[in-house]
Amino acid sequence: MKKLKKLPFQDIFFGIIAFSASFLVLSLIFSTVLVLYNESSLAIHRFGIINFILTEEWDPVREIFGAAASLYGTLVTTVLSLLFAIPIAIGIAIFLAEVSPHLLKTPIGIAIEMLAAIPSIIYGMWGLFTLAPIMGNYIEPALQNTLGKIPVIGKLFEGTPTGIDLLTASLVLSIMIIPFIASIARDSLNLTPNIMKESAYALGATKWDVVKDIMIPYAKLGIYGGIVLALGRALGETMAVAFVLGNNHQITLSLLDAAATITVTLANEFTEADSDIYLSSLFYLALILFVLSFVILAIAKFFLLKAERGYSR
Amino acid sequence: MTTAEKYTKIRKIKSFIALSLSTFAAFIGLFWLGFILFDVLRHGIAGLNWELFTEDPAPPGIEGGGLRNAFVGQLEIVFFAVIMGVPIGMLAGIFIAEYARGTKFAKTVSILSDIMVSVPSIVVGTFIYAILVKPIGHINYGGVVAVGFLSAIITFIFGSVLNLFTSKVLLNVFSVKSDSAVKLLNLIINLITVLFGVFLFIYLLHKLVDKIHGFNGWAGAASLAFIMIPVILRTTEDMLSLVPWSLREAAFALGASYYHVIKDIVIRAAMTGILTGVILSISRVAGETAPLLFTSFNNSYFTMNMNEPIASLTVTIFVYATGPYEDWHTKAWAASFIITFFILLVTISARYIIHWRYKN
Repeated sequence: MKKLKKLPFQDIFFGIIAFSASFLVLSLIFSTVLVLYNESSLAIHRFGIINFILTEEWDPVREIFGAAASLYGTLVTTVLSLLFAIPIAIGIAIFLAEVSPHLLKTPIGIAIEMLAAIPSIIYGMWGLFTLAPIMGNYIEPALQNTLGKIPVIGKLFEGTPTGIDLLTASLVLSIMIIPFIASIARDSLNLTPNIMKESAYALGATKWDVVKDIMIPYAKLGIYGGIVLALGRALGETMAVAFVLGNNHQITLSLLDAAATITVTLANEFTEADSDIYLSSLFYLALILFVLSFVILAIAKFFLLKAERGYSR
Repeated sequence: MTTAEKYTKIRKIKSFIALSLSTFAAFIGLFWLGFILFDVLRHGIAGLNWELFTEDPAPPGIEGGGLRNAFVGQLEIVFFAVIMGVPIGMLAGIFIAEYARGTKFAKTVSILSDIMVSVPSIVVGTFIYAILVKPIGHINYGGVVAVGFLSAIITFIFGSVLNLFTSKVLLNVFSVKSDSAVKLLNLIINLITVLFGVFLFIYLLHKLVDKIHGFNGWAGAASLAFIMIPVILRTTEDMLSLVPWSLREAAFALGASYYHVIKDIVIRAAMTGILTGVILSISRVAGETAPLLFTSFNNSYFTMNMNEPIASLTVTIFVYATGPYEDWHTKAWAASFIITFFILLVTISARYIIHWRYKN
């Protein structure tokens, strides 16, 4: 009777299906690049690469398209949101790793991770209906009256404060990326061997000395990884920004002006593109965004892998 | 006071200031969370009523009506995304954690899917648009791949049933004893299965691919599946690698084939973890808007037909919130309330399941 169980059909077939599934995942990434390149080839031939990146104009009527304004908006919102988020996120990580009483660690940790679970469209709506009026009525006029008076920095705060601008968008974005940095930084800080901390305390170090001189140097790579990962996330965020940025294809120095990012341009104009070159230019923007975020995420992954290897040593 | 004492005191003050600042940072984080949740709760509850679930939208500008089409559409899109994404993600995860464990291929897929997890979701939308929405009158390659995979899975189930039937019933009834007869039967089963798969593929291709023109629900489900797959793949891989190797060796020693070891031992041991990962990935895609904008688009009428543009809660929120009517804003808040608290509930319970299952 033992031969009856020897039908190897399932074994081989299952292996083949599992292989083709993992191959499909691999091919999804490559076909994304290929398809986006293929769709944007019309715009690539018409505008070139350098020229497209450096042209500010985005004029669907005259069919002249350039990515400079969108790229600038993406860059400014991303950098500003990182500036807002990094100190707070690292503060949270230090609090969770070293300061907080043991009982509060899990609930506060979960609460911070809940910030990451809230869908981005909710951030967008909240930004539009709640944060933008507050910014436009109170905070931005206040900024204009204080920082706006200083000669060089004042240029950043010119214009009428409406709340729909680069500053609000960056603020919303920064709230979104805080949990990414905070949770990775906390995990890396927690990996510091206890024996190192204890020897520092035995030498008479204060808590801050231990955090600054033992834990942060130890967790450095992980924290970098978290920051770069958050950078990648911020680059590609669409809905949270789409509500509070307007869609204004101009490079403006002032942070109180509406602007456009690559993602906002795509979200607002993709379904309205009526000519081939228009659609192709939008695909070109998507390709640039994909390549940018892919490279940045790969760097983040590199840092995190290196950190992991360092800890296991 | 000596210099040493002074120095100690300064260090203590510094430490106090720095740690207070970090506590303050934690308060800021909690403040944002509380602010957002409170606002969603406040506006959302005001907009909640029964008509929201039972009625279709009223014409623009007229008060009343509900969002039944969006609720049904959202459920439908997420359901089909799960149908597409979970098997592919799990199978791929099983392959790289079991069959290809430790190989270059497994590492590449694992790292690439880690990157895919964070790829901008709007880019996924443009990609799916290019392969599933745009091709009108051309060959729809995305559709061909999807149908191919669907028929492969159905074929596998068909083959397993046929195999089971043969080994359990036919062989016992006719009491076949000879080696060559079993081999021959095997060959026949494999042949029938492959033929079945080919015919199924051709049949489904005509049935499904040619019927789709322009924006459609399938494309929306596919783009959500695209986002789910890497998440599920990574969870499956991690959970399978937690299963001790000695468990598999014990099963191998009893003469089980790798397929049976995976099906009966490994998956069973890792099931809670994988399921939690699936639930978390569902809660993640349930809130996605950007990839649906150009795939399933929007529809102000009630439809269950996935071949047409179909409304989803998130896209409806986007349209309503940026629209001019006060009534629309109220509805958008109510929809946001439902989606936010659904997602938070799912996320928290999934975390507790993980905590409870892996606390040791």
